[in-house]
Amino acid sequence: MDSAKVLSVVISDESPDSTPILDVKHLKKSFGDLHVLKDISFDLKAGEVLSIIGPSGSGKSTLLRCLTQLETFEAGEVKVDGKDMVIPGSCIGGKIKYAPAKVLRDIRLSTGLVFQNFNLFPHLTVLQNLTIAPIRVLGVAREEARETGRRLLKQMGLEGKEKSYPCELSGGQQQRVSIARALALKPKILFFDEPTSALDPELTGEVLKIIKQLAEDRMTMVIVTHEMAFARDVANKVLFMDQGVVVEQGSPDFVFNQSQNKRLSAFLERFSRT
Amino acid sequence: MSDLNNLLPILWGGFCTTLAIFALTLLFSIPLGLLVAVLKMSRYRLVRYPVSFYISVMRGTPLLLQIVAIYFGSYYLSEYAGVDFSFDRFPAVIVAFSINYAAYFAEIFRGGIQSISKGQYEAAYMLGLTRAQTFYRIILPQVVKRVVPASANEVITLVKDTSLAQVIAVTELFALAKKQQAAYASIYPLFVAGVFYYVANLLLSMVFAYVERKLNYYK
Repeated sequence: MDSAKVLSVVISDESPDSTPILDVKHLKKSFGDLHVLKDISFDLKAGEVLSIIGPSGSGKSTLLRCLTQLETFEAGEVKVDGKDMVIPGSCIGGKIKYAPAKVLRDIRLSTGLVFQNFNLFPHLTVLQNLTIAPIRVLGVAREEARETGRRLLKQMGLEGKEKSYPCELSGGQQQRVSIARALALKPKILFFDEPTSALDPELTGEVLKIIKQLAEDRMTMVIVTHEMAFARDVANKVLFMDQGVVVEQGSPDFVFNQSQNKRLSAFLERFSRT
Repeated sequence: MSDLNNLLPILWGGFCTTLAIFALTLLFSIPLGLLVAVLKMSRYRLVRYPVSFYISVMRGTPLLLQIVAIYFGSYYLSEYAGVDFSFDRFPAVIVAFSINYAAYFAEIFRGGIQSISKGQYEAAYMLGLTRAQTFYRIILPQVVKRVVPASANEVITLVKDTSLAQVIAVTELFALAKKQQAAYASIYPLFVAGVFYYVANLLLSMVFAYVERKLNYYK
């Protein structure tokens, strides 16, 4: 296994399929004296879906925010689509050194994030929400961006909502718009931070269905969620976190059915009861 | 009623000066207020502290005094420094009003900017928008909507505050009305001036109500 990994690093350019598109090694993060993330390591290949589960305060969201650069971390290495977020080896003797701003921006544009509270721009129409970044950031022609936007809305089942404002939509619809907004930049990896936690129970289904659809289209995704059945069904890989460490990771079948880990089974037990 | 026929053209002339003070003050104080608001939120203390001091002086002392200070102060200062410079009456009024109102606007704008949720910045950041794009395209349009009601208050107060310009003998509406009061030996001209102020503010209120309605297309 180890030698295979080494080999895949060497030939990374030739065979992107065997190289992880997301590679996290020994990531550490603390807020003051509070160690939120203690030595997190995992990787993900293109087209795979990773579910991150765990109790509140286990560091799931913080991990996502570190990977999407909304938070900084103190130690570790993160590689996204072959680009190093941190200058390799700079970790030795204290603080890490982040890659140049240009590289970080490229990485950011290749990673989309769907927020728990959508964070749509309320003063812009649905279509404007989808086109502002392609037009202003990527320099896509206005008409082309609109065309892509309309296609994405159709894919999200939101045809005809182009001219609506976010406040006119239901929570589920808003979340689907925010997924479309992230997709409009054609990200390599899409991160979801509890995408259904702010939704009424009857609206979670429509959002989960869209995410499943994306998984079938081989979109690489990292999903932090409290929807256990969904986490199991949609993912190729599941990561269970507790108190800032990855307690268990593996296939959904392994994590949900076979693992003997006590903290994991206690967590799953609590969930199946509620 | 023939009194009114004589009075109206005179007061109208003063009202034009009042309008000029009003318009020029808004023209300068709103952009300046935005700049001050942004500077007050600077992460550098060296920027933040002087700006806070400026705001506290502007809000903590009478505008009347500030007008006097700008007009006479500039005169004495230039004499002391040996430079041949001093404000004329009207520019002194505009400067005093602009820097005073900028301080008030700055606090309104700052409140508006800080009321925008962090999520808006984060979403813009994730989409790769630059800081300038985020401010002008995402934050500012939302701030405008939120600061309209409080700004309307300031603007309406400004119409009435213009009467303070008479302290350095700028012949605006109220100064002229007072002169006519003496000439007529009646407070009647003052009432007429009051009607001018009231009608102007009535129109302004309507404009602001319209703007608020227009901005109501989203929540």
